[in-house]
Amino acid sequence: MSRGSTRGTDNRARALLSIMASLLNQQAAWGRLLCIGVLLFAAQQSLVAQGSQAARTNPPLSPTFGRQPPAVRGIAIDARMATDLALHIGDRLQLSAKPGERGDSVRVDAIVQRRADPAEVARQDYRVRLHLDHLQTLTGADDRVDRFAVGVRRGQRSTSPSDSAVARINAVAFGFRAHRSRDVAVGSSRTFRVVERFHRAIGIITVVASAVFLLCLLLLTVEERRRDIAALRLMGISRATVVQSVVIEAAFVALIGSALGAVIGWIASLLVNAHYQAVYRTPLRFALVTPDILGFATVLSLALGVGAGALAAWRLVRTPPLVLLGR
Amino acid sequence: MRVTMAFATLRRHPARTVLAIIGIAVASALLLDMVMLATGMSDSFRSLLLARGYQLRVAPKGTLPFDSEATIDGADAIVAALRASPDIRAVSPILGATLALPESRIPSTFALGIEPAVQGDYTLESGHDVVIANDAIAHIVASQTFLTRSGHVIGDTITLAAGIDAQLRTAARTRRVMLSGVGRFFYIPNETPVIALPLPVLRTMLGAGFTDRMSMAMAEVRQNDSAHVELARAWIATTQPRITAISTDSAIRQVEERLSYFRQLAFVLGAISLAIGFLLVATLITLSVNERRGEIAVMRAIGTQKRGVLQQVMLEGLMLSGAGIVVGLGLGVVTAQWLNTILRDFPGLPASFDFFVWSARAAWRSLALLLVAGGVAGLLPAWRAASIPVARALRDEAIG
Repeated sequence: MSRGSTRGTDNRARALLSIMASLLNQQAAWGRLLCIGVLLFAAQQSLVAQGSQAARTNPPLSPTFGRQPPAVRGIAIDARMATDLALHIGDRLQLSAKPGERGDSVRVDAIVQRRADPAEVARQDYRVRLHLDHLQTLTGADDRVDRFAVGVRRGQRSTSPSDSAVARINAVAFGFRAHRSRDVAVGSSRTFRVVERFHRAIGIITVVASAVFLLCLLLLTVEERRRDIAALRLMGISRATVVQSVVIEAAFVALIGSALGAVIGWIASLLVNAHYQAVYRTPLRFALVTPDILGFATVLSLALGVGAGALAAWRLVRTPPLVLLGR
Repeated sequence: MRVTMAFATLRRHPARTVLAIIGIAVASALLLDMVMLATGMSDSFRSLLLARGYQLRVAPKGTLPFDSEATIDGADAIVAALRASPDIRAVSPILGATLALPESRIPSTFALGIEPAVQGDYTLESGHDVVIANDAIAHIVASQTFLTRSGHVIGDTITLAAGIDAQLRTAARTRRVMLSGVGRFFYIPNETPVIALPLPVLRTMLGAGFTDRMSMAMAEVRQNDSAHVELARAWIATTQPRITAISTDSAIRQVEERLSYFRQLAFVLGAISLAIGFLLVATLITLSVNERRGEIAVMRAIGTQKRGVLQQVMLEGLMLSGAGIVVGLGLGVVTAQWLNTILRDFPGLPASFDFFVWSARAAWRSLALLLVAGGVAGLLPAWRAASIPVARALRDEAIG
């Protein structure tokens, strides 16, 4: 901003403030409303002018130098903290970077709900969000940041814009490195990939155990009907028909079992979600019953049912009926 | 005699018996794994924390050690006060920071500032320990990961830098140090390159703000029982209001709280595997008894007592469970190693932390549980077999 324009802004602000003073004296409602709006504008103009003057007389030491934040800064706290400490919008807090220090007086301006992020599930700590410059001032970090995100424009080159930007930044970087968001995502999602692999492994063991159990049950169920099968064979019903009827019966049993299992699974998922959402105080859903899972479970139990039924029935129809009857 | 008869009954239907044994084996393997998971984390974490005998950790107020970048100011006075306590044998202050490596293949490394005489963070595997040399070059210890990734070897002199100014492309402070040894760091993840150097050297490198700071300290209480450790912890909490003292037990509690998911999963899956084993034995024995009504009635008719039938049927259940458990034991150890390998890939996990830890007590507990379940599962069908009305069962058998 040039010297002339700065002076103009400063004068305009002062003029506005004097008009406001006269309007406030009139006690009129419309005047008060207008006052508030214009006062905000005037205060902003005045601050701009002061900041510009300060910047002109004292060269800035850093990009944060010369900023004039409001006397009490607003912060956002997470809902968990608000509940535990009985905090509400508008409450005043003392915020300091180190224990025992007086710190800053801040006002709670927002209460935010944590995202349903698995990475944050196990973390019980509270989280406060501040404006960057506020945190920099509070921690004495001046012009430092932990990281920042860079958006790249879509280019026409053969390499992706992000790759070339990362290469160019890292070519000149000193004390920092640029990473593609994709790589950062891969790194930060490693925990979940490990959990996913663990779940898959546990799932395989559980499915094997369940499959053996199911196979055993169905074999026994069919074998228990050896007398019925013997009677059918003695009546002249063909082996193929007997096998088919047993297989159909086993398939029905498997399907009904799958339906019951799906209902039990769905109820269990509700209980699991309710329990863990309460334990970790998160909206994250821990157990999901998806069509894929339902389909897999049904197909597996159906295949096992049909397989076990066919195997047992084939063994029985090959045995002479009188032997089945114990004669 | 009863054992022979029970064995003969099981051999009569080999396919059914083998299938049941496989089912029980898988269930007992899963149960064993889940018991190992539920107890292994605590055992592993406890042995990790007590690797060098320090039972107390001191961290900035309200934090866990190295859970944040917060440091403790006035560290020397706190350490001196702790060392002056007659209950405390040793105190090891530690400062952690990231240092740049301007001439290396890796841009930075995690650095631990330690006092070599009392350090409890690593064990020296080769070379010489950290030395505060009188000359300008300090001797430092590095992890194998550091050496592998940086390409340096023992005896190399490297430059460490701190206070990096990205715009001016300068480091506020640099220091030449010599790699003198390789250490195995207990609490640092395997994938993280780390070095240990004298605490005063690291403080100097980090600048004036760190001359009297530490990230945490470890304290060893003279009397190694939980009551005395708790007393020492309470004393520290009372006399040092700016720090949090954490005992091994409370640290384990906090970690278990964070990893409670695994314990609960272990409990649920353990219960399911127990239920599967129980149902398998119960179903199999029930059907077996139903098939052998006539045979049991004949046994009763020729003078076998109720108790004898009861014992024989229960023995069948126990034999099935026993065979499944023996197979399941081997299977469980193999699958536990597989699952442990998967979970050890967790980022940020200390190198010597395990999720599945073999313990004979845990194994016996889980297998005994399954054996009892097998015995109980056979109880009801055994009772039904023993209570068969002999005359009616014989008549049904004769008529068909």
